[in-house]
Amino acid sequence: MTLTTDADPAVDVVGVTKRYGPLVAVDDVSLRVAPGEVYGILGPNGAGKTTLLRMLFGLIRPDSGTIAVFGRSWSRDDVRTLDGVAGFIESPKFYPYLTGRQNLEGLRLLDGSGLPDRLEEVLDVVDLTGREDDKVGGYSYGMRQRLGVAASLLRSPRLLVLDEPANGLDPGGIRDMRALVKRLADGGLTVLLSSHHMDEVEEICDNVTIMNRGSVAFHGTIDDLRAMAPDPGHLLRTGDDRQAVAIGRARHPGVVVEPAPDGGLVATGSERDLSAYVADLVRAEVPLLAFTPTRTPLEALFFMLTDARPDDVRLRGKEAVR
Amino acid sequence: MTASTLASPRPSNTCARKEAGLGSAILWETRKLRAQLRSRALLVGTLLAPVAVVLVVGAQSRPPKDSLFGRFSTENGFAMSLLVLGFASQWILPLVTAIVAGDAFASEDQHGTWKTVLTRSVSRSRLFWAKVLVSVVFGLVALVVLAAATIGASLLIVGRQPLTGLSGQLIEPGAALGLVAASWATMAPPLIAFTCLALLFSVWSRNAAVGIAAPVVIGMVMQLVGSLGGIEAIRPYLLTTPFEAWHGLLAEPRFTGPILDGVLSSAVWSGASLVAAFLVLRHRDITGG
Repeated sequence: MTLTTDADPAVDVVGVTKRYGPLVAVDDVSLRVAPGEVYGILGPNGAGKTTLLRMLFGLIRPDSGTIAVFGRSWSRDDVRTLDGVAGFIESPKFYPYLTGRQNLEGLRLLDGSGLPDRLEEVLDVVDLTGREDDKVGGYSYGMRQRLGVAASLLRSPRLLVLDEPANGLDPGGIRDMRALVKRLADGGLTVLLSSHHMDEVEEICDNVTIMNRGSVAFHGTIDDLRAMAPDPGHLLRTGDDRQAVAIGRARHPGVVVEPAPDGGLVATGSERDLSAYVADLVRAEVPLLAFTPTRTPLEALFFMLTDARPDDVRLRGKEAVR
Repeated sequence: MTASTLASPRPSNTCARKEAGLGSAILWETRKLRAQLRSRALLVGTLLAPVAVVLVVGAQSRPPKDSLFGRFSTENGFAMSLLVLGFASQWILPLVTAIVAGDAFASEDQHGTWKTVLTRSVSRSRLFWAKVLVSVVFGLVALVVLAAATIGASLLIVGRQPLTGLSGQLIEPGAALGLVAASWATMAPPLIAFTCLALLFSVWSRNAAVGIAAPVVIGMVMQLVGSLGGIEAIRPYLLTTPFEAWHGLLAEPRFTGPILDGVLSSAVWSGASLVAAFLVLRHRDITGG
């Protein structure tokens, strides 16, 4: 048995690679999550986030590299690697012919002994009290998602791993899920969260790894990411696009005004330059119909990092920590 | 999720926690099996179907003379039990056990729950052996219920007359009951082997339909092969041969060699199936669900 210490990182992934035939699903990925940290893994679908998390849980074996969780590794400690770890991969799945309570009681059996009985407490946390004796087959997607969180909390984890926790939830469910994750993190829980929503990671996480096509495109803090973000773009609709473009080119060198793919214009520049440009349009009596942000700066950066070839991304982004 | 009742999460005491043992995994698998309508319906079926068969066959004016013990089945309860045994061993027993065993692993794929159970504190090997044990025990329970229902219904409906053995000897009712029960008991080794075969197909195919149908089809093919001439060299190794080993118990003098051979070949089939199934599960990447 491996004894863990407070000095051990919650998650230590070193040079992990996983191939499926010619496809490299995860390519030499390294990351380290400190205890108490809320860490985001961000990337588009197919970036390798879920494969990486499945390897952390021992569901998939890496071809090379090592994964340690609180100092324990699968090669040495087998299932004890998951001591203090809970979470779910993609949408949580349960036995539809059992009730929510029966599912949780069964999973508690598989958690071994030495854990407190928190079944009622966790049902209350996820707001499933009153529905726990209904069969899971009749649960909505959101209820199953919440049952997944309850099943995770049942293990009294030190590390909570959530893969796309807001997927498939309605706006209210997304808000509640994020609030819950924040509350758990505030209580000292280490959270490793994967998402393809920049705003989710920005709202919840301290540090982030952006993955693209199996590789790491960026490692760093949310503040680092913000510092790299490009100027915000705004969709501009006017009554006279030709004059609006002419004013921009003639008087506002800090603003780039281009035709938008779906009609109208896109104006890109710093907030200050854009303000001056819009004021000028009003003074010139160009009819201004709409002026709305296209993407947040971080979203723009995310797309920049993940749309580009991995080599290009590495040149522009911050290099991996290892 | 608006409740704000959660206090700060309690850090787990990793030293105090013990991983789930085989007993916990067996308990979990048993609970799941008990909750499934299919397994309960199957047990009810093994209890009631023999009664219906005995009633129907017993009411025939002309007994099925072409079948072993068929000639006496309408006038002798022991013969009726053995007639049903011969029929059940052809494909009923493989089907009964495969309905649960063939689904044991594949249902986790169907429901996407491998990731649910394997992210707890239980190893793949413990889950594997728990499923194996629960499936084998279920198969044996189904066999016991089927045998008890058949023998009970036959004796109650047809009667307890002395049984004419395969060598023409007359067997008194007390001894006949023991021999009929022993004949049913000889079904256990090949039944376990078919259970293990169904488990292998369940793990390998990840599909319950394949897990259930494949052992039944293989059993039928083996029955067919076993009925051909000129295959004496391979007949002892067929998984269906042990289903006929009970004939020696009803002969005079009795012979038990085929039963021992059947136990051996069933053990080899069971062992090979379980080793293959274990290796498939052990080395599998769980990418679905």
